[in-house]
Amino acid sequence: MPEMSKNRRNWAVWAGFLLALGAVLCNLVFFVNLPGGRAIAGLSMLLSAVALIFLGLGLKRAFEQPPVYRGKILSSMLSFVSLLLVGAAVFASFSARTIPTSAGAPQTGQKAPDFTLIDTDGQPVSLGQLLAPAASESEVMPTKSVLLIFYRGYW
Amino acid sequence: MAISVDPPEVSRDLCRKAGYTFSVLSDPNAEVIRRYHLLHAGGGPEGHDVARPAEFLVDSSGVVRWVNFTEDVRVRARADEMLAAAKGLR
Repeated sequence: MPEMSKNRRNWAVWAGFLLALGAVLCNLVFFVNLPGGRAIAGLSMLLSAVALIFLGLGLKRAFEQPPVYRGKILSSMLSFVSLLLVGAAVFASFSARTIPTSAGAPQTGQKAPDFTLIDTDGQPVSLGQLLAPAASESEVMPTKSVLLIFYRGYW
Repeated sequence: MAISVDPPEVSRDLCRKAGYTFSVLSDPNAEVIRRYHLLHAGGGPEGHDVARPAEFLVDSSGVVRWVNFTEDVRVRARADEMLAAAKGLR
């Protein structure tokens, strides 16, 4: 048995800190756009929750059993930083989910509304024109389809 | 092809930097975005209206055959998912 004077490392605070760090790093993974993005989004929240539990446990130990666990100040500082990290992860998760529901948007099996817009060369492009068979004498033309990608913009 | 509220100059810049070869169209007043019910009012970085992310695969008869709406801006359709959907049409 270790003597009481040899204080134990307060691993719970460190675990909380690492989990909080992981929760933030989960958000950086989205830039790579790996498969299973939805699971990563959930994982960020899960890690944040578990981090808070460990931080609470670690702080409790540091302040209630100072003879056993060392580092009241270190625990407090680590907990503070971890709380900021958890806050950032939770804020990112909530602000990423503010997309409106778009209930009226075309669904599978519905007609895509036609439109004409200007491309990067200033030329008008219409959906109907893109879907129309190419004016070619060739008899076997491949079926045309268009992938429409609406995006938030470039910034 | 891709659609956003960005003016053509910004989209041209994006295409040049990212090497995109598909058409990138501009809908500065979000008319088509509204027609598709995809407006995210105030969703832009300076609080301007933008399109919410959404992907549609439209067949030759103009019918939507595959859609993807994300509920989280961090989770987008991946290129392989879109290619798989396009291959499924043939």
